[in-house]
Order: sequence, then structure tokens, then C-alpha cells
Amino acid sequence: MIDFQILLEYYNEFPFLVKLAWDFSVVLSILITILIVYLKFVRKHLRKIEVDNLKFKNEYEGLLIEYLYSEEEAVEISEPQQVILEKLKKHVPIKAKRKVIISVLYKLMNQVSGEVTDALKVVYQNTGLIHYALLRLKSKKWYVIAKGIGELTRFKIDSAEDEIKPYLTHPVREVRKEAHFYFVTLFQFEGLSFLDKLTTPLSEWDQIQMLEILQKFSDQEICDIKPWLQSKNDTVVLFALKLANLYNQYEVKDLLMDLLSHENKTIRIQAIEVLTHLYGIEAKDVLKANFNELSLEEQISFFGMLEKLVIPDDEPFIEKHLFHKNFEIQLLALKILKSINIDKYLGLNKLPSNKKSLAMLNLTDTI
Amino acid sequence: MSRKKILLAEDNSTLSLLLKFRLEKEGYELFMAVDGKEAVDIIDKHSLDLIITDIMMPFISGLEVISYIRNKLELDIPIIVFSSAGQEEMVLKAFDLGANDFMGKPFSPNELVIRVKRQLS
Repeated sequence: MIDFQILLEYYNEFPFLVKLAWDFSVVLSILITILIVYLKFVRKHLRKIEVDNLKFKNEYEGLLIEYLYSEEEAVEISEPQQVILEKLKKHVPIKAKRKVIISVLYKLMNQVSGEVTDALKVVYQNTGLIHYALLRLKSKKWYVIAKGIGELTRFKIDSAEDEIKPYLTHPVREVRKEAHFYFVTLFQFEGLSFLDKLTTPLSEWDQIQMLEILQKFSDQEICDIKPWLQSKNDTVVLFALKLANLYNQYEVKDLLMDLLSHENKTIRIQAIEVLTHLYGIEAKDVLKANFNELSLEEQISFFGMLEKLVIPDDEPFIEKHLFHKNFEIQLLALKILKSINIDKYLGLNKLPSNKKSLAMLNLTDTI
Repeated sequence: MSRKKILLAEDNSTLSLLLKFRLEKEGYELFMAVDGKEAVDIIDKHSLDLIITDIMMPFISGLEVISYIRNKLELDIPIIVFSSAGQEEMVLKAFDLGANDFMGKPFSPNELVIRVKRQLS
């Protein structure tokens, strides 16, 4: 007590600034102590959650495996399976447990195929998990909706088609993307019918992902892509061009020819590349006639086409652009000439030319 | 007749459990490893008839496990490898190291049983 009084007297005698520093230190020490206690509590709580989740995971894994091996022939759901479903059903309304059940189901769904996947789908539907995913679709938060659609896609719930359809044109890109993936994953090429009326843009990444989903299916019979090649949505046209290229759509050549005069430059370039792939020699005359009106990128793409589809009749055109101002075109022209008329190509060395042109010839010789 | 011993090295616990039950149902004795390190320990301690291993595992990868069996222990036990999409190069490496068969995920457990039987016959 006396010590404390002495300390207090000392404190009172301190100048104002020192007093303030001491006050600040005390407040800070109290705050740090509270924070340490709080962090310890949070850590303990998180560890408890982790332990609980592990316990639930082991429990649900066991139940799930028991379910999968309790099947009986000629019965869709056997009696022991029904008992397990009822057990799981009781845990589903609790959010934390629901999360664990979904993760266990999904982990397995991702790794196995065939009859096990169908059984897992039955578990997902009959435990009421589907109900919670459908509830998510009614949320006001876009990320909850996107997660709900993603979950229904992962568990291949094709009965949610009508509920997901309105989200194909949702203002948020992530929600739209999930809805697009849902239809493509579950209905394959038929699922692409949403492209007919799509007015929102499809990003390059989304297009690539959709193509990847489509390529995983065993049935690679593509539907009619003509309406999409005529779409007013440029990204739909670009996606259709990728489909035409990947699935060798020779029957759409006429539409591809029309796209050579599309107002969007990227589409025009892509159309040249697809026509090259589909051996569209009829495009050569059109492009040759308009060569000077084409953008530089289109001109390069056209020379790429000539490199693959060149015939001796193209020689005068190639010769005309042998020393084009663009390096890529110049190189391609020399390469093409070398491939169709080696004598004329070798004769170029004798022509009076500048150092740059000689360097180009030397470079072409090495290719 | 003694049961054939199989080591299953897979870090996905649900898949491991599913395959364990499936293979035990077929009459095999299963040893489970959740990572490559555990797999190597089991290989050292037991005389196994077949090894099923995932390529991507914590601590020691499936490729290292195969290399350990073929190059260090010089054992001729059949090895089946699991791989996910996009691991084609790893699968080729696994075959170079001495794997006998591979299954891409997702796979059918029934198909795995057929392949196991073929390797053990």
C-alpha cells in the first residue's frame, strides 16, 4: 500500500508529457492483454470447430461408404440405405454439418464415376441437401446464388433447369457464368441453346472453359452452330467460330465467308483462321481482291492462310508482297515462294537489294 | 489360402475408404497410406502383392514411391497409378519408372477391381 502511494506520488510529480506516455502505456498494456485473451479464445474455438469437423467428416464418410455398400439389387433404396439417409437428414439442417456432408460427397463425386456417382446423387437429393441449394438461388446476394448454381452443377442436378434458367441473363457475370456452365455440363451441346438469345458478353476465359466441358463428353456430335455465327452478340460469334474450328464444321463455310466482311476485326481475323483450318480456298480470291483494304492483322492472317493453302497460281500475288513493309508478311511471302518456286526464290539473291532484304533471305534459308 | 496384400496410397480419405471396402469385399487384405511417407514405411515392413498409388501425395509423391520400389528395393510388384486430368506427363514418367497400369480420375471402382485382378492373375 505504501509502495503504491510512493509510486502515485512519483507519478503526480512527473511532467505532463511523461504522465501522458505512462497513461498511454497502461492503456496499451490493457488492450494487448485483452487481445491476447481474445485470440486465445478464438484459437481454442477454431480448434474445436476443426476437431468437430474432423469427427463429423469421419462419421459421414463411414455412413456414406456403408450406404454405398448396402445396396440391394432390384431396389432403388434398400432398407439399411434408408436408415442411413434418415440419419444424415437429421444433420443437414445444421449449417456446419451440412457443409461437411457436402464436402465429403463432393470429394468422392470428383474422384469416381459410374454407378457410385448416381448413388451419391441419390444421397444428395434424398437427404434434402438439394433443398438448401435451391434456397440459395433465392438469395439477394449474388455470390450465394452463384455458389448454389455451382453446387447443383457439381452434383449434376438436371431437375433444377427451370430454377436456373432466369440466371442465364443475370446482371452479375459470375452468376451468369455459373448458369452457363450448369447448362453445358448437364445438357452438353443442347445446353448451348441459351446462346440463341444471349445479349451479354461471354468472356474469352468462359468460352475456353465451356469448350473444355464439352470436350469431356463421349458424345461429340455437335448441334447446328449456324444461328450463333449470325448472332448480333460478337462474343457468341467468336465462340461459334471456335466450335467450327474444333469440330471441323465444313458445312458452315458460306457463313464463314460472310464473316470476312463482319464489322468486328477480331471476328474477321478469326474467320480467316477457321477458313484456313477448314481448307476454305474460296476465301483466297476474296481476300486477295481486298488485300489493301484489310487491316495489318488480317493481312498477316491471310498470309498464314496462303502458307497452308498456296497453289502455283498464287505466285504473282506472293511476288508482289515479297518485300512488304511488315516483317511477318515479308517472311511468310519468302517462305511461301520458297515452297512453290525454289528457282525464283534462289534467283532473289541476284537481285540488287538492300542489306535488310538480304538478311531476310538469309533468315528464310534457315527456316 | 492366404489373402493377397494390397497397399493403397491415396490422400483422399473418402476415396480410400470406398476402395478399401470394395477391395476387401473381393477378398484382398488392404494396407492404407495417406501419403508417400506412410506408403514407403508399409512397403518396408510388409511383403505386398500389389501397390495402388496416387501420383500427387504429400511428403513423398507417387513417382518417388515407384522409384523407391523399382530402383532402391528392386522389387517387381505390380503398380497401378491414379492420376487426375492434366497429369499426362506424370503418367508417362510413372510408366518410365516402372508402373504397370494407370487409371485417370474420375474412375469406376468396379473397373479398378478388374484391373487389380488382371495384375494379380
